[in-house]
Amino acid sequence: MRNRVACFWVALAGIGFPAAIALAGPLGLPPVPVPAGNPMTSEKITLGSTLFNDKRFSATGEVSCATCHDPAKAFTDSPLKTSEGINKLTGTRNAPTVVNAAFNATQFWDGRSADLEDQSQHPFVNPVEMGLKDHEPILKIVRGDPTYAEMFRKAFGIEPAAITMDHVKKAIATFERTIVSGDSPFDKWYFGGDKAAMSEAAVRGFKVFLGDGRCVSCHVIEQDQALFTDNRFHNIGVGINRIQDRVPEIAPKFLEAKAQGMDVDVKVLTDPASSELGRFAVTEGLDELGAFKTPTLRNVAVTAPFMHDGSLATLRDVVLHYNNGGVTNKGDRVNDFLSGGIRPLNLEDQQISDLVAFMEALTSPQHARPAQAASTRAMGAGTSAVQAAPACSTPSSASGTIAAQQLAAAGDTP
Amino acid sequence: MKRTIIRSALAAVVALPLAIGATTSRADEFTKQDAERWQAQFMQVVQKGRELWTDPKLGKNGVVCAQCHPNAANSHPETYPKFQKQIGKVVTLPEMINWCIRNPLEGVPLEVDSPEMTALVAYATYERRGVKLEPGKH
Amino acid sequence: MSNNYSRRSFLRTAGSVAAVSALPVTMIELAFAKPAENFTFAYISDAHIQHIRGTKFVNNWDRGLIRAVAETNLMMPRPDFVMFGGDLAQLGTRAELDHGAEMLARLNGKLYCVMGEHDYYDDLGEYWSKLFGPQHYSFDHKGVHFVVLNSILTFDDWTHNRWPTPQQRMLEMAGLDNPNGSPFMVGDKQREWLRKDLEKVEKDTPVVVFSHSPLQKIYKGWNFWTDDAEQVQALLAPFDKVNVIYGHVHQIQYNQIGNISFNSVMATAWPWPYPQSYAQAEQFMPKLTIPMNRADPFFERDATGWQMVDVNTGRVGLAYNLYNNKSRTVAFDPKVGHPVDKELQSVALEPNRTHY
Repeated sequence: MRNRVACFWVALAGIGFPAAIALAGPLGLPPVPVPAGNPMTSEKITLGSTLFNDKRFSATGEVSCATCHDPAKAFTDSPLKTSEGINKLTGTRNAPTVVNAAFNATQFWDGRSADLEDQSQHPFVNPVEMGLKDHEPILKIVRGDPTYAEMFRKAFGIEPAAITMDHVKKAIATFERTIVSGDSPFDKWYFGGDKAAMSEAAVRGFKVFLGDGRCVSCHVIEQDQALFTDNRFHNIGVGINRIQDRVPEIAPKFLEAKAQGMDVDVKVLTDPASSELGRFAVTEGLDELGAFKTPTLRNVAVTAPFMHDGSLATLRDVVLHYNNGGVTNKGDRVNDFLSGGIRPLNLEDQQISDLVAFMEALTSPQHARPAQAASTRAMGAGTSAVQAAPACSTPSSASGTIAAQQLAAAGDTP
Repeated sequence: MKRTIIRSALAAVVALPLAIGATTSRADEFTKQDAERWQAQFMQVVQKGRELWTDPKLGKNGVVCAQCHPNAANSHPETYPKFQKQIGKVVTLPEMINWCIRNPLEGVPLEVDSPEMTALVAYATYERRGVKLEPGKH
Repeated sequence: MSNNYSRRSFLRTAGSVAAVSALPVTMIELAFAKPAENFTFAYISDAHIQHIRGTKFVNNWDRGLIRAVAETNLMMPRPDFVMFGGDLAQLGTRAELDHGAEMLARLNGKLYCVMGEHDYYDDLGEYWSKLFGPQHYSFDHKGVHFVVLNSILTFDDWTHNRWPTPQQRMLEMAGLDNPNGSPFMVGDKQREWLRKDLEKVEKDTPVVVFSHSPLQKIYKGWNFWTDDAEQVQALLAPFDKVNVIYGHVHQIQYNQIGNISFNSVMATAWPWPYPQSYAQAEQFMPKLTIPMNRADPFFERDATGWQMVDVNTGRVGLAYNLYNNKSRTVAFDPKVGHPVDKELQSVALEPNRTHY
């Protein structure tokens, strides 16, 4: 059941199976949630993948989604601390992975998008990301390009003139829903019953994860699957500590500007102080001051650096930050709005190393480093014309799609 | 109130006369005195559990179970085993008690079959007597 | 008169940019006849600062108070004053009272304090009074008469003759479910003081009474109880609008008895189960109260918080600011004549969410 392949379904869809398909997840994951209004089809996946990689949707023609969410780097831009958009402009936030983002209840570090569809539109018009003034240039391209015309026709049954951003968003989101991966050493050990799958250090680290480390309450593991996130927002003392004395001044100013129509998406990526307000910038709830979304820990070992601002370089640094009770440097002042789940842990050195080893066991095979051969080009890199490259039929793709991997394994290459 | 109940249970045992011929050699039979004696022994363990429930030495920071769970309220012994999100899997009551000893009480967990743990479980369950079982209820 | 409890309406009706800059995420705004008479104050309670040894205090309770103070300081427009509702310390020691007072000192604005039993029973409030002043008193503010009672006294015999040491006495009173405890009361002397104090107050002047114990009889086993509640209520009966705000219970409760509205405040330290969740208890929990959700002990701030109290033409509304949960607003609804949680009142609650 678990190893049912996304592409298998997609292939079935191609031969007339119901267009709406449910994806059974890999080992350790639940089924991918698919919204009723955007069922998965192989044509949408293909289209979405192409859009994801198209650099023309940026002010300089050099930035696509894949620039910061690079399939060869587990869909991040590791080792960058914060991402670089057009003209190497940097923002305030570290690029989260697309891998398993389909399971997130909200998107972005502060959850300001309710779903993948909504999220996809914002980077295009953010000044430090793709830098477009609005979405018109995108629509112009997709309406004018005959390859796109054919793909949109197949995916949505519409003519070019009828293409809207809604279709673009749906296609990108559908592609992203295929970027899921489980089957890590931990999954094989915990859910698969393979006693040899994890190292002894990782096994000890798992005990720390559930016990003294107190990790499991936010980085959730359940009886038969593990998302490693509770999909909630917590202030763990990263970033906020820098501005904590100025919060009484920054927070009201932010709310005032917001009430007068300021764009939250632009503000939080371009203004470091506002960025540290976290989820508060979205919900205005005092209980979410400085709070950021719990990210999944799957593939965390290959997505350094860590935290919403990329401020922690290694996993060991991360554990030390928690061990200190929510401050990076021991003895720093703990911020007043710290989540109640964070407290000093008093872990021993061995426990810290073991915990790191455990986190390293959460990497899925297709994202393990050294990853796919460097010679393998990432999907859609450096194209000026549209590549009609369906995710399923690129066996050497360095993308994390389980679809491609399984398809290659099955020898089902074109 | 509870102390008087425990005391009177003990008193009842002490006051019973030993009846001759009340012993039996059949495995499946036991006397009223046996039952009452065992009940009294149980109540002693319950009493010990109550002491631990209010003992600042159970953890390392002086916090006691009774601070958040007066009369063991809100500990829901009748719902175990159940999925416990703080532990990430289905667990029994002693495992959750150990979680509390580790976390709010900042202490060292007990052996699950130790007399102390048995006493804590006995107390919490006793305070919850009469409530129907609902294992798994969150 | 209608009550609009939403921040949105606050922004809409406020009018000026200055008002928009308010950070009133828990402020409630009421549309009312005479805007000038409205005011708010903050209420922080039950911090239970607990000393371990040396300079170590229980981190969990410390953080609760720290957060309440920090959030109160963010409120804009500023609340008129801040009340601390009692039980600053856990065992009434100097170390605890000092540590707590230090944290409260970071509050911007005037502070009034209410006595709690955990502050009192070690030295009968001597050190507390040095820090915070009289144990019962009254004051007037913007046309409302405020009374602060020390309602955690008990029988003289228990207080003075029963225990070998003050520390023992404090320990016995500290256990909520301790059968050796003794019921709270205001007592004859203080009731007499109250009677005289109220003589000078007009019957149509709104009265707000701050008390640590509930001034009701809810559950004796946990001292959610004031032994002379009826007598105190009788003294308050002649007034048109009376509001009692009490601490001690570490949970949201509200009730109406005659002309008196009762509202509890939350603790910053930890939540308590509702009395109905103790299977062996007979208790008289106000039927009006929709209980809080059961807390998650992993998140130490779950089901704790503080509150903004809005006084509107003599009635109070409490905006409970729960750090880890959905905030709640309980306010007097003149249409039905008692406090109501408008949002939850009409929602069918899933049984699992509450204490059982």
